[in-house]
Amino acid sequence: MAALTATTPAPARPRKLLASRRTRVGILYALPVVVYLLLLFVYPIFSTLLLSLKDADGSFTLHWYADALSGVNLSVLFTTLRISAETAVLSLVFGFVLAQAITRLKPLWAGLAMLVVVVPHFISALVRTYGWIIMLGDKGMVNETLAWAPGAPFQLLYNELGVVIGTTSMMLPYTVLLLYGVMRGVDRRLLAAAASMGAGRVTIFCRVYLPLVGPGLASAGLLSFILSLGYYITPALMGGPNQTMIATLINQQVTKENQWNGAAAQGVILLLLTLAGLLLVKLVSSLGASRKKRSGS
Amino acid sequence: MELRKSLAGRIALTAVATVILLFLALPIVVILVTSFSNNAFAAFPPEAWTLNWYKALFADGSKWPAAMSLSALVAALSTVFSLIIGVTAATALVRSELPLRSAVFALVLGPLVIPQIVTALGLFLLFEPAAMLGSPIAIALGHTVLASPIAVLILIATLRGIDERLEDAAASMGAGRLTIARKITFPLAAPGMIAAAIFSFITSFDEFYISQFLSSVDTVTLPVRVYNSLTFEIDPSVTAVSALLTAFAILALGLVALVRWIGSGRQGSLLSVENTAGVATPGGETV
Repeated sequence: MAALTATTPAPARPRKLLASRRTRVGILYALPVVVYLLLLFVYPIFSTLLLSLKDADGSFTLHWYADALSGVNLSVLFTTLRISAETAVLSLVFGFVLAQAITRLKPLWAGLAMLVVVVPHFISALVRTYGWIIMLGDKGMVNETLAWAPGAPFQLLYNELGVVIGTTSMMLPYTVLLLYGVMRGVDRRLLAAAASMGAGRVTIFCRVYLPLVGPGLASAGLLSFILSLGYYITPALMGGPNQTMIATLINQQVTKENQWNGAAAQGVILLLLTLAGLLLVKLVSSLGASRKKRSGS
Repeated sequence: MELRKSLAGRIALTAVATVILLFLALPIVVILVTSFSNNAFAAFPPEAWTLNWYKALFADGSKWPAAMSLSALVAALSTVFSLIIGVTAATALVRSELPLRSAVFALVLGPLVIPQIVTALGLFLLFEPAAMLGSPIAIALGHTVLASPIAVLILIATLRGIDERLEDAAASMGAGRLTIARKITFPLAAPGMIAAAIFSFITSFDEFYISQFLSSVDTVTLPVRVYNSLTFEIDPSVTAVSALLTAFAILALGLVALVRWIGSGRQGSLLSVENTAGVATPGGETV
């Protein structure tokens, strides 16, 4: 017993040693990923930023940004924002309905439905876009089924409708997964409580359910908006000249026009838009967390 | 919502949900079916069946085999890089006391949220002056920027899922750190590592943006070749390639599910030995 009390202060030292050993191991093991991403991710983005601020003779200039924000380039930026917004709204609405339906299914069917949602996400976007091109053509499946309708065949490709159909199907897995998680997290007792106090279905939906899932809806919509901003494959393959998006422009400037500075400025603008969107997502989700806490207490 | 659900409302919701599911699944089904159709462009359902597009893939003078082997090489390299980065990073983030942990984690998530075209542009600006455009190594290094974060995330989940008591138990019985890693941690982490490898491989194999910026006329990866044949040179074999890519992805996902399923039994059996040890017939272990 005496020996035990005598040694009680001692463990402090080994523990501290152990802690510093664990810290050393941590730093050692974190090195590969940190060095790799600093060299091949952060540094290249940083040099993109530098290039966008450099004139032909190496002096500082903002004229690449002035270029990127005027004329045709500005209208491409607006097109990008518009198509992304349309995609976000549609994938949010479809995602909401689908996630809502899946939460009401029996586990087996819910699992199968989730499989149909998730598997396409892992199949090359290029391949899925090609699938849409085959389906939406003049003699494609959709037009053949709609052959009875007046005005058929419909122009479903190489216009904005085609692009939005394509991008929405690419973003849908994200919104469904996010919203499904949010909906599963809703405390059903709150809805039952509202019902027990005589609230009608519409009232419960608008006053209780929507505020609870609202922040999740906002994050899902913002996320699909952000992800659409930098999209290239589907707009380039399914759109017409009026659906040129910023990523297409960046690609053209680099591969066809050798205009790296302009491309860099557009890349930085795209990056800033994305970061602003992410900041909003973070803000919304912290708002949602505080609201959840309040409704739970 | 658990109140009177009108039947009509439920039917309507199910119908709309089915249409949305078709919206997700149909483009893939159409590709698979059309690849066997005698009319490789558009007509659906097919009037007659053929294997011609698959045969054309491997005919003399076809550009597809070269693209496939380049993509496979790049994906294999990128998988190795991603696994090395993934295992070390996940260990650092889960099993150690790391200063600036959240900053490291944010850095890892970075490539997943930044538009890929921006990453690709940056890599182009890095590799072009180094005259490395078209080099499979450069493309693999670029793909690793996207694939390694996925590997890190999967391996973090894997390591978190391993019950540390198993390692402590081994340590208490005198096993050294290497023995524990070899006999306990590695076998339990193996399914996660296989999953990380498969996802890294798919990520690289399907990657388009970085490949397009870093490819040269002679070195073109499979997705870039598919894109080019959809925009410039109409080649009906692209349907067969797309179907192969689809089948490949589904196969890989199935493999991940299988490995997970086998792996989930493994730790369960180790832990259940521990849990049922008290119930087991006394002496049953020693006999």
